Amino acid sequence: MTKQEFITQLREKLGGLPQADIEERVTFYCEMIDDRIEDGITEEDAVNEMGSVDDIVSQIIADTPLTKLVKEKIKSKRKLRAWEIVLIAVGSPVWAALLIGALAVIFSLWVSLWAVIVSLWAVDVSLAATAVGSVISGIVFIYTGSTAQGIFVIGAGILCAGLFIFLLFACKALTKLSVVLTKKIVLGIKNCFIKKEEA
Amino acid sequence: MDIQLKRGLLDVCVLKAIKTEDSYGYKIIKDVKPYIELSESTLYTILKRLETAQMLTVHTAEHGGRLRKYYHITEKGLKRIEEFKEEWKEIMSIYKFVIKEDEGDD
Repeated sequence: MTKQEFITQLREKLGGLPQADIEERVTFYCEMIDDRIEDGITEEDAVNEMGSVDDIVSQIIADTPLTKLVKEKIKSKRKLRAWEIVLIAVGSPVWAALLIGALAVIFSLWVSLWAVIVSLWAVDVSLAATAVGSVISGIVFIYTGSTAQGIFVIGAGILCAGLFIFLLFACKALTKLSVVLTKKIVLGIKNCFIKKEEA
Repeated sequence: MDIQLKRGLLDVCVLKAIKTEDSYGYKIIKDVKPYIELSESTLYTILKRLETAQMLTVHTAEHGGRLRKYYHITEKGLKRIEEFKEEWKEIMSIYKFVIKEDEGDD
């Protein structure tokens, strides 16, 4: 093998490495071969003394940190994606509208869910207020002589208090459920973005 | 030989090869080869490692119409050789102890 053949093979097989690294290696081996030739060794023997290109390449790759190799791979992929960037930009009126639409649907569902919960809490609070109000007004009725009316109003108040307690548990459970659901929605959106980055 | 041990020995051998005067790749290999096996790719890795550790500096000079890289030892490199000598005094005394034990067994 001639020096030129050796260098060409080495350069080809080191393709996955950064360009500066390849040049540095090639320069190193060039100098090694040239110094041997200068020492009186024939070109072929000088090249043979370097060992096989495959062995050299596998040792170089073993010595190169994985992060460097991965970085190089990502770099070359990004170059290929130039046309994809154009496509993404051109198609933005379509996909952006769809994305905004999808997010709006999720958001509106989430808002309506919380609206139901808020209104349930409002009903519950009003039940409590009615219960207190009814009992007080019932007592007032009894003191003013309208005993039957008073007892009726107090009874209604106690009924409201019962409903209040019943609804309180329901509200609490629903609120908890919604908090869990909200967390799940947020997590789902995040996952969508992570998956996009990985791809 | 243990890989880690060999690595440490090769570092010191390369430093010794450039200790008295600046040297270049092929000459380092020729100087070290009678004592320890050293391939081109291994030498490249060692030189890089020693350069990163600031134990040597690299400069390029013209030689016979082409460029050649020369390696120059730094203070840190010289210190490493001295440390190596101290370490091996200790190792040699351990070695003598181990040998003596063997003789006792025989």
